[in-house]
Amino acid sequence: MNSNLISKKPYITPFIIWIIAGTVIPLASIAYYGFTSREGGFTFANITAMFRPDHMQALGLSLLLAVISTLICLLLAFPMAMILRESKFGKHGFLIFIIILPMWMNFLLRTMAWQVLLERKGVINSIITALGFPQQELMNTPGAIVLGMVYDFLPFMILPIYNTVSKIDSSLIEAAYDLGASKAMTYTRVILPLSVPGIVSGITMVFIPALTTFVISNMLGGGKINLIGNIIEQEFTVNSNWYLGSGLSLVMMIFIIISMLLLQKFDKTGGANLI
Amino acid sequence: MKNAIGRIYILIIMLFLYLPILTLIVLSFNDAKSMSVWTGFSLHWYEELFQSRLMMGAIVNTFSIAIIAALIATIVGTMAVLGMPALRARTENVLMGINNIPMLNADIVTGIALMLFFLMIGAPRGYMTILFSHTVFCVPYVILSVRPRVNKNTNKLYEAALDLGASEGYAFRKIVLPELWPGISSGFLLSFTMSVDDFIITYFTRGAGINTISTLIYSEVKIGIRPSLFALSSIIFAVALLVLLVVNIRQDRAERHKEAAA
Amino acid sequence: MGELIRLEGIVKSFDDTVVLNGIDLSVDENEFVTLLGPSGCGKTTTLRIIAGFEKPDQGRVYFDGKDITDMPANQRPVNTVFQNYALFPHMSVGENIAFSLRVKGKGEKEINDRVKKALKLVNLKGFENRRIDQLSGGQQQRIAMARAIVNEPRVLLLDEPLGALDLKLRQEMEYELVRLKNELGITFIYITHDQEEALTMSDKVVVMNEGFIQQEGSPQEIYDEPVNAFVADFIGDSNILSGQMVDERVVRIDGVDYPCIDGTEEGFPPRRRVDVVIRPEDIDIVPYGKGQWNGEIISKLFIGVHYEMLVQSEDGKVEWLLQNYDQHEVGEKIGMKVDPENIQIMHKPKSEAESAIEIDL
Repeated sequence: MNSNLISKKPYITPFIIWIIAGTVIPLASIAYYGFTSREGGFTFANITAMFRPDHMQALGLSLLLAVISTLICLLLAFPMAMILRESKFGKHGFLIFIIILPMWMNFLLRTMAWQVLLERKGVINSIITALGFPQQELMNTPGAIVLGMVYDFLPFMILPIYNTVSKIDSSLIEAAYDLGASKAMTYTRVILPLSVPGIVSGITMVFIPALTTFVISNMLGGGKINLIGNIIEQEFTVNSNWYLGSGLSLVMMIFIIISMLLLQKFDKTGGANLI
Repeated sequence: MKNAIGRIYILIIMLFLYLPILTLIVLSFNDAKSMSVWTGFSLHWYEELFQSRLMMGAIVNTFSIAIIAALIATIVGTMAVLGMPALRARTENVLMGINNIPMLNADIVTGIALMLFFLMIGAPRGYMTILFSHTVFCVPYVILSVRPRVNKNTNKLYEAALDLGASEGYAFRKIVLPELWPGISSGFLLSFTMSVDDFIITYFTRGAGINTISTLIYSEVKIGIRPSLFALSSIIFAVALLVLLVVNIRQDRAERHKEAAA
Repeated sequence: MGELIRLEGIVKSFDDTVVLNGIDLSVDENEFVTLLGPSGCGKTTTLRIIAGFEKPDQGRVYFDGKDITDMPANQRPVNTVFQNYALFPHMSVGENIAFSLRVKGKGEKEINDRVKKALKLVNLKGFENRRIDQLSGGQQQRIAMARAIVNEPRVLLLDEPLGALDLKLRQEMEYELVRLKNELGITFIYITHDQEEALTMSDKVVVMNEGFIQQEGSPQEIYDEPVNAFVADFIGDSNILSGQMVDERVVRIDGVDYPCIDGTEEGFPPRRRVDVVIRPEDIDIVPYGKGQWNGEIISKLFIGVHYEMLVQSEDGKVEWLLQNYDQHEVGEKIGMKVDPENIQIMHKPKSEAESAIEIDL
């Protein structure tokens, strides 16, 4: 209940200007355009346009690919985080360093690397043909997109999980063994529930960009596979239909909010019903 | 046994993370334009890269925007953190909620929202709109990293300085600023890297004729990958490696120094 | 010894919560004054008003006769030893102590000498270059002292400075503080919720509760003659019982009439309902039936020098707390006896809030 002498209300003014001009009004304008028809009247058409078959298909595929790549990231990242936790290197940051380093590469270049590897005349195909097998069509497939997503986002899954598991007190794990728990039980009953906060933020950091990407699908899908991100992007850059683009963005935001609420609920229950 | 499996696992993940990058680096020295056939060592893709006016312009834009945006975001964010405790708890919660939006929202939505905003107010899209947009998504990261440094103790230390006769400015410079410094500098660095790395928001808020490294790569990849991009990859990788190494070694030293002193 | 600090009618509230309810306090030069009370009683706010960190809503603060109510903290001739010390973590011990001297723009040589002197005064010679996080709690406490006194303030404010230390160290520091005060010859205003600290060190104890000063006086006065049940309860353990005056200087407690030394003259006419305070060490154990009350020992605890016992009265209505050097067994039936001068009669508060207000009447 003491006065805080450093804090003065005016300090917050620039910040308020920033969030009004940078966040509140821009989001409000998406809402405005989303409910406005090209002719200028109020409409739900831009929202319901999501039910058009091509849009539904794109949304469905986006959700599917995002879920798959998030799951793969999770499955790859959790063991990695545990190994980092137990490794001697982990403490001195060498392995962490190795995981962070690719994040500093521009992600367009990282995605491009897979394009180089997967192209019809790319590195992998030339190895395959050199070994005498027929050339494979690797690019422009949903698989290529998932691969790109996993590659781009894996570090974002490993780091938050590592951050939480590294803080789990070893004595908790020892206590579980001491109380007769098997290794599997220690993992499922002690380590996994305690790493839920990390898992949740890892999932958030992978799922949302995966769901909304248009870059990876554009580069590795060769423009033939449309995700919801591509549809929205095209409305803005190619068709110049901001009204439709905004409407679809609003629907996509609803999916983002729902997924975050679900994840938050999961986090709060502490993963008690994880298994 | 357990150790061996762990090592193999690490190795596989490492290969997965680094083989694509290594491929780019190797191909950047390839004489031919081919993505699969090695025809001899050459540096001419690097030459092409450095002679590209577009690329040089993009590099200048990228870094100048990153530095200015990070600087503005750091000032706005740090001031906000200092002002927060003076607000009522409910107001603070609302502001923090709005603050979190650009961090949690999909970049494409943030980008589109800002683009519509600029269209509405009739701001010509270009360097300034990119710059402002970058500050918008950087401020939350500054607040996130500075806020934990401001606690009851900060105020106590400030009071102690006043109690010992310091003027408000002196107490702020000598006591509060050093206390917040780790948060401020990591907020700045985080903002800088987020800004350099950004593609999506820049893509929607830039105008024709202005490029950052990211947008230039995107438009070049769409036309057809040229090996000069491999050269760019190698350079970025080398710079990242160098910077991270220096940071890590310095941190390591600081830690060891601390351990030795304790 | 003239008056150095005077608070007049200080009122302070935070967000509609009244923290100080009109505090009047006078502190003499060279006095060791302790503000004592439970957390939330307003003692810290009082200290912060003296230091200049808070502005009172009403009332004035005088220093040496001058009104300093509006003087900012950095210009007041008082220094504070903060709770948890508030040592600057990024500065060495020497830099911490030198801070106020540097602010004043003193020369390097003078700074050096005075830092050395201050360190010597707190028995930490040669600690100049240590880092704060290398110090133990007790050492940090001493550095905080050194930093606050290096500038030779007229008044030293101490905000629960021993609160974070363990018992043994705390007792040691109590002696240190008194020694320091005598060596420096300055005024100490000390805040604590620990009654033992207050009684040990102070020239004057000011007991506070709910934003009111409940009682002020020498430690002896506070302990022997608490003015109300709150003070009695807060200073040491007490048996506080409901009673009623039945005659001049006769009070009825738990069905037994007993002579006491208070009557109409002292404000306790017959028929008045009162609180009766009896210190546990003032109750003598006598054979069963030989005292004023009888009871059965229901628990016993050995706490170092003496035994502490809970005794239940025969009708089961009252539990007495007793302290005695002799050992008695649980289950033993005993008689209890109290001398008239050890029965303290007090006004009964009508409600929790009024327990505070009544003192002002």
